[in-house]
This record gives sequence, C-alpha cells and structure tokens, in this order.
Amino acid sequence: MSSKLPAGVRFLGAEPGAVAGWLTHDAPTDRDIASCVGCGLCLPHCPTYRLTGDETASPRGRIAAMRAVSEGRAAVDATFSRYMDLCLGCRACEDACPSLVPYGRLLDGAKAEVMAVRARRARLVRVLGLDILLDHKWAITALSAYLPFVRPFLPPRLRRLVPRVSLRELARPIPAVTLPKGHARGTVAVLTGCIQDSWFRPINRATVRVLARNGWKVVVPPQTCCGALTAHYGSLGAARRMAAKNAAAFALADADWIVVNSAGCSAQMKEYGELIDRPDVASRVRDLLEFLDEQGFEQPAGSPVARVALHDPCHLLHAQRIFAAPRSVLGQVPGLEVVEIADGDRCCGSAGLYNLFEPAGADRLMRQKAANVAATGCHVVLAGNPGCAVQITAGLAELGVDVEVLHPAELLDRAYRRSARG
Amino acid sequence: MIAAARRDLEEILGSGAVLSDPLALRLYGRDASMLEGSCELVAIPSNREQVVACVRIARRRGLAVVPRGAGTGLAGGSTPLPGSLVIVTTRLQRILEIRPEDRLAWVEPGVLNLDLKRRLAPLGLTFAPDPASEASSTIGGNVATNAGGPHCLAYGVTANHIFAVELVLADGTVQSFGGEGPEAGGYDLRGVIIGSEGTVGVITAVCVRLTALPEAVQVLMLGFATVDDAAGVVSEVIAAGLTPAAIELMDRAIVRVVEDFAHAGYPVDAEAVVLIELDGLQGGVDRQRQAVEQIARSHGATVIQAASDPAHRARLWKGRKSAHGAITRIAPDFLQYDVVVPRTRLVEALAAVRVVARDEGLIIAHIVHAGDGNLHPLIMYDRRSPGALEHVLAAGERIVRACLEMGGSISGEHGIGLEKRDFMPLMFSAADLDLNDDVRAAFDPVRTMNPGKILSDVGRSHGPAAGHAAGAAPDEAGSWRR
Ligand SMILES: Cc1cc2nc3c(=O)[nH]c(=O)nc-3n(C[C@H](O)[C@H](O)[C@H](O)COP(=O)(O)OP(=O)(O)OC[C@H]3O[C@@H](n4cnc5c(N)ncnc54)[C@H](O)[C@@H]3O)c2cc1C
Ligand code: SF4
Ligand code: SF4
Repeated sequence: MSSKLPAGVRFLGAEPGAVAGWLTHDAPTDRDIASCVGCGLCLPHCPTYRLTGDETASPRGRIAAMRAVSEGRAAVDATFSRYMDLCLGCRACEDACPSLVPYGRLLDGAKAEVMAVRARRARLVRVLGLDILLDHKWAITALSAYLPFVRPFLPPRLRRLVPRVSLRELARPIPAVTLPKGHARGTVAVLTGCIQDSWFRPINRATVRVLARNGWKVVVPPQTCCGALTAHYGSLGAARRMAAKNAAAFALADADWIVVNSAGCSAQMKEYGELIDRPDVASRVRDLLEFLDEQGFEQPAGSPVARVALHDPCHLLHAQRIFAAPRSVLGQVPGLEVVEIADGDRCCGSAGLYNLFEPAGADRLMRQKAANVAATGCHVVLAGNPGCAVQITAGLAELGVDVEVLHPAELLDRAYRRSARG
Repeated sequence: MIAAARRDLEEILGSGAVLSDPLALRLYGRDASMLEGSCELVAIPSNREQVVACVRIARRRGLAVVPRGAGTGLAGGSTPLPGSLVIVTTRLQRILEIRPEDRLAWVEPGVLNLDLKRRLAPLGLTFAPDPASEASSTIGGNVATNAGGPHCLAYGVTANHIFAVELVLADGTVQSFGGEGPEAGGYDLRGVIIGSEGTVGVITAVCVRLTALPEAVQVLMLGFATVDDAAGVVSEVIAAGLTPAAIELMDRAIVRVVEDFAHAGYPVDAEAVVLIELDGLQGGVDRQRQAVEQIARSHGATVIQAASDPAHRARLWKGRKSAHGAITRIAPDFLQYDVVVPRTRLVEALAAVRVVARDEGLIIAHIVHAGDGNLHPLIMYDRRSPGALEHVLAAGERIVRACLEMGGSISGEHGIGLEKRDFMPLMFSAADLDLNDDVRAAFDPVRTMNPGKILSDVGRSHGPAAGHAAGAAPDEAGSWRR
C-alpha cells in the first residue's frame, strides 16, 4: 500500500539521517514529542484554539511544530517562536490527553529554544525581569515601594493590572516564625512568593494565621522566587538556579510540609524533583487548600458571605489536577455555598506574563472569564493564584460589576475572625 | 498562481485568516491518520459567503480544495495533496436555530459534536451520533465521514440523523439537499453527500435530527478471562433479542492504558472488558439488565458490575473514548484498521486476527464496536526499525481480506480517505467504481473537491467520467488499477 501512495504523501516519521534543528540542551526530547499521536482530543480544551479555530494555535499543532524541528524539517525561527509565544502554558491540554503527553515539559523546552533566538532587546527584558529581578526579593520590594507613585502614570492597560500596594504592609515582613495556637501538630514552611509577597502581602498574612490557627508552627525560611515564570519564559538555567537555592533553604528549615498559597508556585515546586533532582523537597510541597483538605482543619463557626464563585487556577486544576480539594474545604464552612463558574476550566488569560506580552488574546479570555464570574451573581470570587486575581479584578472592573476578588485563605481567615468575635 | 490566490484570499478574508508560512502549511498537512501530505495555502473563513469566495478563488487559480473540520479523521480524508487549498470550517461555529418542537436544529459545520449536545441537554434532547471523538470533531466532519460511534448500535450512524445539508459546490454555487423532515421528495441526494469525505463540495450548514434523552440509562461492565468468552456474550445478547444502546469490547492491552488515564476502575487483569449500555424506560432497563447479567454469568464472566452513578458511567465511557489516543503508551507507532464483519461472526474474526498476529509476530490490540461487528485492530510497531511499516501494511491487508471473505467491509465508520482507498477494488468491481466516479462527477465535473480521496483519480476502465475535464486535479502517482 505504501508504495502506491500519491506523490507528496508519506507515512509520518523522520527521514533516515535527519538532523534536528534544535539549538540548546533544554530542547524538547524526541521521546516526549513522539508520545503525541495527533488524535486531537486536546483541541477543545485549548483556549487559544477555541479563540482562533487554528491548528497553529493548538496543542497538537504546537507539538507538530516541535516535531518538525526535531525531524529537521523546520527551524526555530520567528514563526516557531510566534506559535510558542501564543501558548498560555495553562496545560489544559495536558489534562485532556489520553496519551499523557507531558505538554508543560515540552513547552518549557520549546521556550528555551525560542529564548535562544529572541532579538537582543526582548531577551534583555526577560533576563532582567525574570532571571535577575525575581531572584532578588529586596529588589522587588524596593520597586514595589515606588508603585503607589508610579501607578497613576502607567498606561491604563498596565495600571489595571498592577494592584494597589500599601507602603505600611511593605514595611512589615512576614515573621520568620509564627507559633501555633494550642498543641503543635507539626511545622510547615511557607513560600511567600516573589510578586505575591510584595503585592499581596495580606494574603500571606492570612495564610500564616490560618495555618497557625490549625495547630501548625509556621516558618518562613529566607528564600527566592520559585522560578515558575522564569522556566515558562525560556530560562531553564536560571529557573534551576532559583530552584536549587530554594531547595537548600527549605531543606534547612526542616519542616514537615512546604505549603504554598499560589497555584503557579506550588505547581513549580512540585517539579523540583524532575527539574533539579530534589524529590525530597518536591514530595513535601502542598498547595494550601490541598494541605488543609489532607490534614483536616478547624471548621469556622460561620461564613462572612453566603455565596462565593470559585475560580480554578490552571496551575491547580490542570498542572496539579486538583479539583475536589478546594470544594471539599469550602464545603465544610457552614453557611457557605460554592458556585461553579461556567467554562470554569478555561484559562482567564493571565497565564504568567501572557497578559503583558500577548494583550489581544489575554483580553478576550479576561472578558469571557469576567462575564462568567459576573453571571454567577456572587459578590465574592475566590482565586488562589495572584496572576488570576489580578486578571479577574481587571476584567470585572472593565465590566463595571462590583465583585470582590479574594484568596481562599482570606475567606477562611475572615471566617475564623468572625467566629472569634462570636 | 499561489501568490495570486493568496492575494485574492487575503482581500476577502483578511490576512489573519490566510496561512502560507511553510510551518503553518506543515501543521495542516495531516489529520489524525498516519499520513502526511502538503498543501499550498490554508484559509479559515468565518461564514458561508467567505467559503464560497474561497472555492471560487481556488477554481480560478487552479487549486484543488480540501475541506477540513477539526482534523480528527483517521483515514487521511483531510490530508492534503500538493496543489491544494485547505478550507478550514472551525470558525463556522454558530448553532443557528434549535426547534425542540420539530425535533431539529440548524448548525454550521464547525460546531463541535459535544458542544451541540451540551446545548441540547437542558432541553432533554440530544444529537445521537457519538463518535469517540465527539468532544473534538465537527458536525461537518461527522456528516462528511458518516461517523458512527458506540451508540449507533441502537440509534444508527450519522446518516440517520441528518435532515438536510447545505453544500458549496465546486463552481461556488450553494445548494441545499433534503428538507426539514425525513421525506424530501425527488432523489435522496443527502445519501451521496453524507460520507462523501469532502469530494462533492464544502458543507456549510446542516439540519440535524434531535432525539429525546432516555429516561433511564445503565452501563454494565463485564470482565472475561478470554476474548472469545467476551465475544460470545456479545453474540448471545444480540441473538436473545435484547436491544442495548451500545456494546463495546476492549482487550487487556487497551484496558490497561486507558485505566491509567481515566481511573474508571476497569479490571486490568481481565483479558477482555465489555461495556454494555442499556437505555429506555426504567422498567425495561432493569429487565434487560437482569437478562444480560444472566448471559454473562453463563459465559463465565469474572466481573459483572453496574456503573454506580452518572459520574462513574461517564468515567467508564471516558476510558473507552480515549482508547485511541492512549495507544502510544504501548508502542511508539500503530496503524488502526476499521473492518466490519457480520456481527454473528465476531468470534471468528477475532480468531482470524489472532492468526495474523501470530504468523507475523506482531502485537495487535482490539477496540471493537462489538454490537455492530466493527473491529478496530491496532497493529503496533516501531517505525525506526527497517521494514516495520511494510510488514504492518502486509498484515493489515491480510486482516482486511479475511474480513471481506466473511462478508464484511473495509470500513465501518472512519471512511476511505487516502488510507483505505486502495482497498476499494477488493470490494467493488471496476464498473461499480466507475459508477461511483460518475456520481461524484455529477457534483464536481472538474475534480476540484478533495481529488484523490475515496476514489483514485486515474485509471477509469471506460474512459473519462461524464463531463470530466482535466485541469484542476493535481498530479498523482499510482492507483488501484495501474
Ligand atoms: C480518538 C478518536 C476517536 C474516533 N472515534 C471515532 C468513532 O467512534 N466513530 C467514527 O466514525 N469516527 C471516529 N473517529 C474519526 C473522526 O473523528 C471522525 O471521522 C470525525 O467525523 C471527523 O471529524 P472532523 O471534524 O475531525 O473532520 P476532518 O478530519 O477534518 O475531516 C474528515 C473528512 O471530512 C471532510 N470534511 C470535514 N468537514 C467538511 C465540510 N464542512 N464539508 C465537506 N467535507 C468536510 C474532510 O475533507 C475529510 O475528508 C475518531 C478519531 C479519533 C482521533
Ligand atoms: S497532545 Fe495528546 S490529546 Fe493532544 S493530539 Fe497529542 S496525543 Fe492527542
Ligand atoms: S498550555 Fe493551554 S494554551 Fe497552551 S496548548 Fe495547552 S491548552 Fe493550549
């Protein structure tokens, strides 16, 4: 049969002796690429494919582009870069793939390749911003201190995305040790995060209070950024350096668990096993609500609100496959109804720095998400990831609806305080 | 010529909807089959008028047209041949009208099968065709391949659920076939269009029949120590006059990989697992369930389990529907066949495949639409080992021939496309094939539409088809009669 195929048609596969067009050591591996059969079952789950209907903006297409490079039929060029940059990295495709294709790993590899061919200026922005700035917490804090003054002068699109940061908060870091309420159940080390710690410190405070309330001694080891943004934007080397620093710091802290309240960061730290061969650290990492669900927690007496819409961050739902835990925890708060958001498994468009680099696609996804949140009729929406919180806040503001965006830790914290007041 | 076509297309569609970058063209070079072709341009129109314009431009500029939905086809139907413009229908995705009281809906071809079902469910209605690819394949693609699925045992294939089709013909005229009811009068040309795999025109709207959701649904999962036991139960269930909505069979190799993904609780030690779905009124479902369990016990079923709730049922089906995608976890490469045998001869067919596997020293796994006698033998190989592909193709041909000898067919549901077109002469005489070609030529005399698919373009036995003029067809080497 093969001999009778029409001209220009062939069975899939590399020609013998083909030389891959990859440029770096971090390139996607042939084995990972070959695990995709091209069945297309991931297509409807991919937000960028849903927006465009275009194979080049689909997971299958992106993997096929990688395959083309690995088989020496295409180069890592501007087109290839474009296709990879348009990917949100939300990993909804990975969740849907029966072949268990490790898409996140493929994409990180492809982004490392893209980094190698980026124009100097674009590369500089990323290296300065992601590899250097994120690795230096003092620098983020220092820059954030200027934000209140700079914010009014930012272009509206950016202003919308930059939250108000209080200088009073910035001046008071999270204590290195917080003792538990009552009998100690054990020690948890908390990742305070890079951006999260400067821009959303009240969330970190709430997280620490909720953990201490439940009998955990909370320690905050000296640490750096988890490396997620860096890895997803093509600097795997820098990401490994950050991961190694953190792994050392958290190992020293000698905690039973490492609890992380930002889904993007917990997903990344769970990859430390693969990334830098530190499964000892990775296996102790838990996302906050996953942790409370596993370990059990004290039921608050009541809820500060009757209904909340629950947003599933992609890095929780898809990258970590955590769906039930948040529902189970929130379901135990008396008087609280958790409302599902339509198309809840679709990315909000924040996607790390996607909303900065790819505003058009990000805005469309943001509007869809905001509309679906508004449609729940809830006055509060919960988002356990700072990027999502920023994005959804901006979307709701544009829509002109009054919905408060809270972190689940803040809701629990308020519930406990309320019960304390009686 | 191609540059001119691109300019023309961009003028109508805008530059974002016309792709000509070599990498983009490569990504549109295949569907879900194992064949890769190539094309000159890709257009992604957003409405019927734009489709018409694309077809006209292709004709004017001497390009063939390859209609493409989601590209989940398994026969190479939307794998383009050189010299073609791929027209993608994914942006034609409006549900135009739902008329519950008339049990019909008008949809654009790019609407995904499952998206339509989700819209219909709150109305207590559904669109019955349920290919395992329902989440990602388009209604247009379903119509063009006359897709089947597990439930076509009770509900019939796509053709049974289509009232009317709107088609853009090769010369750019738009024509409707059929009407808003089963009896449209005149020749029933819908039958030609359904399953035409893009060779008669581009479908731009479909009027589908809606079906009421059943009152009760129950899925039974049966496990067996041998594949023959499993197949025996299937034959007996049907012989006993029971009417399940679906009967699916998977062998051990498949069950193991899908369980890893779907976590449905399949018995991974069983040699074969059968899923039987019963639906209808509650009383009838209960009675049928007892009868099926009785038959299963008498055939030595090692597991007899009913889905505990709708979520479990969904997981069981999710496992089955992901089987195709999960195969690479067994072997790096595979070819899938789509043969049919009379369903009473299922045991025999499975034995024949076993013989081929043994003779050729190949691993062959099974997913079977057992109720319809539609086998999907998956032959595993590693393309890096020299001669492996040729070996698999030879084994595949043996399987096909064996099934034909039992009175079967070369394709149950995936279509002929490119991959199976060379098997056509095994089933049809030269005169039959010419007649088929004449019918096609009545729609598309100059062969603009997906040439080289289903039927080869060269080697007719009685000279050119009625009205045939050479021109738009791309060069092609080889055919079934050379
Ligand atoms: C995991 C998996 C499971 C599958 N399970 C089943 C199954 O159970 N049953 C089954 O029958 N098939 C199955 N298939 C095959 C495939 O999904 C079906 O053939 C489906 O109908 C193809 O739809 P599509 O939108 O992907 O079309 P494509 O693959 O894009 O196209 C298929 C054919 O239809 C033509 N076509 C598409 N749209 C149009 C249009 N608007 N106008 C004219 N021609 C058009 C194309 O030219 C091509 O010839 C499966 C595939 C996969 C990958
Ligand atoms: S990534 Fe997975 S789901 Fe998507 S096409 Fe490849 S194998 Fe199929
Ligand atoms: S990571 Fe998200 S955007 Fe990227 S291919 Fe997968 S589903 Fe699409």
